[in-house]
Amino acid sequence: MAASLQTIAIRKEYPGTVALDGVSVRFDGGKVHALLGKNGAGKSTLVKILAGTLPPTSGAILVNGREVLLRSAQDAFHQGIATVYQELSLIPGLTIAENILLGRLPRKHGVIAWPEVYRRAAAVLAEMHVTLDVRQQVSELGVAKQQIVEIAKAMSFHPAVLILDEPTSALAHHETEELFALIRKLAGQGVAVIYITHRLQELPQIADTITVLRDGRLIGVVEMSETTPQMIVRMIFGAIVQKQRPADLPVGAEPVLEARRLGQRGRFREVNFTLRKGEVLGIAGMLGAGRTELLRALFAAEPFDEGELWVEGRPVRAPGPVVMKRLGLAFTPEDRKQHGLVQMLSTRANLCLASLTLFTTRNRERPVAQRLVDQLAIMVSDIEQPVAALSGGNQQKVVIGKWLNTRPRVILFDEPTRGIDVQAKQQIFQIMWDLSRQGVSSIFVSSELEELIEVCHRILIMKRGRIIAELRPEETTADELYVRCMET
Amino acid sequence: MSKLREMMRRSMMEIILLTLCAVLAFKANGFFTTGNLLNVLRNVSMQGVIAFGMTMVIIAGEIDLSVGSAVAFAGCLTAWVTGKLAWPMPMAVAAAAATSLAAGSGIGLLTGYLRVRFRVPTFITTLAWLTVLRGAAELVTNGFPLTPFPPWYNFFGGGYLAGIPFPSIVFVVVFFVIQFLMNYTAFGRAIYAIGGNAEAARLSGIRVNFVKIAVMGIVGVLAALSGIMQSSQIMSGNATTATGWELDVISAVIIGGTSLMGGSGRVWGTLIGVVFLGVLVNGMTLLNISEYWQHVVRGGLILVAVLLNMAPTEKRFSYT
Repeated sequence: MAASLQTIAIRKEYPGTVALDGVSVRFDGGKVHALLGKNGAGKSTLVKILAGTLPPTSGAILVNGREVLLRSAQDAFHQGIATVYQELSLIPGLTIAENILLGRLPRKHGVIAWPEVYRRAAAVLAEMHVTLDVRQQVSELGVAKQQIVEIAKAMSFHPAVLILDEPTSALAHHETEELFALIRKLAGQGVAVIYITHRLQELPQIADTITVLRDGRLIGVVEMSETTPQMIVRMIFGAIVQKQRPADLPVGAEPVLEARRLGQRGRFREVNFTLRKGEVLGIAGMLGAGRTELLRALFAAEPFDEGELWVEGRPVRAPGPVVMKRLGLAFTPEDRKQHGLVQMLSTRANLCLASLTLFTTRNRERPVAQRLVDQLAIMVSDIEQPVAALSGGNQQKVVIGKWLNTRPRVILFDEPTRGIDVQAKQQIFQIMWDLSRQGVSSIFVSSELEELIEVCHRILIMKRGRIIAELRPEETTADELYVRCMET
Repeated sequence: MSKLREMMRRSMMEIILLTLCAVLAFKANGFFTTGNLLNVLRNVSMQGVIAFGMTMVIIAGEIDLSVGSAVAFAGCLTAWVTGKLAWPMPMAVAAAAATSLAAGSGIGLLTGYLRVRFRVPTFITTLAWLTVLRGAAELVTNGFPLTPFPPWYNFFGGGYLAGIPFPSIVFVVVFFVIQFLMNYTAFGRAIYAIGGNAEAARLSGIRVNFVKIAVMGIVGVLAALSGIMQSSQIMSGNATTATGWELDVISAVIIGGTSLMGGSGRVWGTLIGVVFLGVLVNGMTLLNISEYWQHVVRGGLILVAVLLNMAPTEKRFSYT
């Protein structure tokens, strides 16, 4: 008998919002069910409820047709639901066997029975038809292999349902094959696999059915064989209201930044483009397409192996963040909390981080910081308070603000709108446009492709580390852009 | 009301220090005399000079465990070079002191270079120096104190200028220089940024490697300076001096409120920490408290100081 997991009218309310609104869905054994949706669609809330770590406000969960109560992760485990999260939870210094059997190492007379440990762990791997040396230390494995060990750990409980939360997000494309083969094998053994991903291009390879959530509601369940990329995009994003950029953003003729056959081993290659004065250039692509890596290389935060960078008609020698800053580049990283700001320092200190001049004092910094706070409408009660107290949108504005002090000619924005509210997003677009009017160019990377159409002069599509197309926002629609990014 | 409490919290160490002084003034005979206070000041100056450099190092997220051995090594090297040079004494001494300062900064710069180029933690490198430099001091002196110094050399460690011990003048000058560096220069602001989040600092176009190498060089040069004054005070190069100083110096920095995690701390706090430890030791000695108890008290104090510093930090971050 194949297993099944069913939810009936699952609802989850938070003060002020409904995260899940009456979701009834059934996941059958023997199949891989892709669970899709935008950020904030309710995927992770549903996963947490199925994993027992979050109680639903109302609704029921049925395993094999029998209602179960999941009050903790242990409960979910006992009911045969195992979850593998995006962040790996392996302990690098221990062996594969120890990681698989962590917390329940077999013992004899109170002492760990090592032969038994290795035997059992090997049995788990053998069942999955995986060949790995169970005595090997996990830190010696690549990320893909670690992901497999993580799944083996979950499978050692013989679950009926295996939930995989973006297992490929940390993997390069060629590393996913092995993982997909394993997932298909497990489904073949009757396990119901729920597979969450942002990489829509993986779907044809891995999914049997597709379940889409949007704004906390179930939009639909379709068989993979009966769908098209257009349909999936339409289900995920709904009808997209497309806005247009202001008309008064001129692009100059002079090139300010050029990439000439830029390449970084295993990340991207043959990247060519020319950014012109005042231009806002968008880079579209799915997660893992190499956008972030490219942007980091443009700021020389990571060295590139091939090609050249040219700034204002001259090749860059000895690239590094210090040099790029001097040449007029600025970079707002994807992870603003960890890479953009020093959380323990004040808003003032962070706003002055990129522009420390030889002699600087708090009294001289304060008016500079205050001016930026006003200019960017940063909501802060006291600029001497740690920047950690600000909301995401305001933190992002601080990251942008710190670069405005350096009078940049090009700003590289990596996912500046992730996790911030609509109003703050519009303010950030406004900043980009204002900069464009002043002749400052931008490169804008976003996973929300309709944003690129709204903001940019020109959009490059990146896939598997290469730029495969260039188009003007006037010539395309968000639907089309999503489809082109996810096509294989 | 909350403002007053905030001020109290910020000046906790100052208040504790003043209280301690007040208690000692009544309880300990001879504490509150000019002679004794100048003596305390002289005693804390040698270590204090290094503590200011150590503050920079710890705020930058690094550590230097080798300063005690570096002091001994610098003293011995100064004595050895002075003895070797057949020049007129002032020139020989000057050349010897310059050699020691160069060696001290060179060792620090090398530590910094190993840190940024090969990612060797400064904890490890300076732990190695701790032993290596002590051994080097023994080698230079061949196990016996070297005494090549002319009588006037005693001025730098034991002399007075306008009634104030010379090392204390150095101590105050170094305080102002480091205070200025940390608060009024891009270099100092970069140290805070790097200790708070090195990657964010790097991506802001800050010269992280340069700054890390430089702070290690600075603490190295200050240890050598202290070693020269120390050799002047005892009028010899002695390989067995300054043992355990690294712990005293680090204690003073931590008691002064600098976080061992890096990113936060004040040079002024270190000044207070240094003076506090000096007064405490002096007071306990005047009160005839045994040296064994002194060790226990000083150790316990470090723990208490860290606990006092941790509590508010935790609260500050709870609302992020």
